[in-house]
Amino acid sequence: MQTMTLSQLCVMAILQAVAVVIFIFIVVPLTTFAERKVIGYIQDRLGATRIAGSRNGLTGYLNRRMWGMGKVPMLSIFRGLPMFIGDIIKLLVKEDIIPDKADRAIFIIAPALSMIASVVVFAAISFYPGALFTFPRWFPVVGGLPFTGFITNMNVGLLFILGVASVGVYGIVLGAWSSNSKYPLLGGLRSAAQIVSYEVPLTLSLLVPVVLAGSLNFNEMTRMVATQMPLYAVPLLFVGFFIYFTCGFAETNRMPFDMPEAENELVAGFHTEYSGMKFGFFYLAEYINMIVVSALASAFFLGGPYLLPFGLQSFVPAGTPIIGGPSVVWFLLKIFFLLISFIWVRATIPRYRYDQIMAIAWKYLIPFTLVDVALAAAVRFTMP
Amino acid sequence: MNKYLKTLIPTDIAKGLALTGKHFMRVFGTANRRKVPLHVVSEYPEVPAKVQPRFRGRLTLLKDEQGETKCVCCLACEKICPTQVITIESGKKEGRKTKIPLRYDFEMERCIFCEFCVESCGFDSIILNHQFELAAYNREDFSIGMLGRSQNMFELTPVGSFSYAEDPKD
Repeated sequence: MQTMTLSQLCVMAILQAVAVVIFIFIVVPLTTFAERKVIGYIQDRLGATRIAGSRNGLTGYLNRRMWGMGKVPMLSIFRGLPMFIGDIIKLLVKEDIIPDKADRAIFIIAPALSMIASVVVFAAISFYPGALFTFPRWFPVVGGLPFTGFITNMNVGLLFILGVASVGVYGIVLGAWSSNSKYPLLGGLRSAAQIVSYEVPLTLSLLVPVVLAGSLNFNEMTRMVATQMPLYAVPLLFVGFFIYFTCGFAETNRMPFDMPEAENELVAGFHTEYSGMKFGFFYLAEYINMIVVSALASAFFLGGPYLLPFGLQSFVPAGTPIIGGPSVVWFLLKIFFLLISFIWVRATIPRYRYDQIMAIAWKYLIPFTLVDVALAAAVRFTMP
Repeated sequence: MNKYLKTLIPTDIAKGLALTGKHFMRVFGTANRRKVPLHVVSEYPEVPAKVQPRFRGRLTLLKDEQGETKCVCCLACEKICPTQVITIESGKKEGRKTKIPLRYDFEMERCIFCEFCVESCGFDSIILNHQFELAAYNREDFSIGMLGRSQNMFELTPVGSFSYAEDPKD
């Protein structure tokens, strides 16, 4: 790679950051839409099929046409898609209420903290280990430079991700506390305890690929874990994936572990007092966290941009066409599948009791993960 | 030990996920064909809703083969009606042995849809039809009869101007 001047570096970083933000704001609405549809179909409903409108409006016309034709499958699945525009407009124009007794400054900062912590993580996530494309020569500042699939390639990428991602809980706890109301406070307490507990097995399960790869660099880890593994490392990665994914549910406060916002116990949990776009930030942060967890799981356990998961790619010769090399398509497909799995699990498993959640973390997951890490260290010892 | 293993290897969760996953694929595959819908909802305003045969909708007078009302003005329905929403004025007509209603007024705003009138009718001349979209903007739209402005005692026509009941026909 040619050396870049400072201005080129800045412009390139901004372009990549914009690309990531566009990616986020495409995937998050699609995920909310998929959530409505998938849960709807699992519960024998149709999910979202229309946006506001009369029978003689656009949606009504479209629906009548569909039924007249016996419904065109692909089109009729996407009928409810414009609803996310309505969602965004609703969140933006809704009245923003701040309680009188709330701690104003912290109340305003908390959702931003939650949101920023989840977005900044993308600085270290690598979608593709090389250049996605090269800018043509005539392009203003960055002509002739490659547009890489990662923003930064830092040597301690994983540490950065874990460190920044765990700041997100401050958003929840501070937002809950500053609301000066009992249900958010209880939600925040639960969230603090739960996320602190699940941070341990989550980090320990990420130690498995770290130990096996011998590096903390995101690209290097992905490449090593996907392509340089012996056969007996595969079950370790398999187990590690499920532990990591389970902890990911707890970290993102998703359904089986959504103690902080248990509707039937704590109105809406930590965001009870929030409305308008401040609530929207919490909502966005949850979905961005889902993308982050899916991206990390697919990068470190499912082979990332390589096709086969759990290090099985090591047994495919590197020169094989299509499936031999890395491709950003595989990575995005894996993220998509894991996001659907989040929704699928939400529609299947009911919420655990609070003591059960703690018991799973401390009594089962942590010892099991420690055994997994120890075995991974043993495997690493035998590797060249 | 058994409990420990069961928690570590969650077969029940796997079973549940397999069940919902399979069900999702089945419903997803058939949700958009009209023939075999596995979902239980219908897209109501665009698709006419189906009601059960026993559904009690709006009161309707029936006609016989000659196109005349079957009602013979026995006033059984008027007497049995708990809210007294039926008012019948009987008359005579040439070439007909029985009486014929000159007025048959039905004040739907007070009707409780108990179907006593239909049960009491000895000539099967009235039914409660399957119409359920009975909202209207004006109070006058609820008085239904055979004469004047409200001549809709015989048909399924919408009561008020606000209704989805007409078939799309497209």
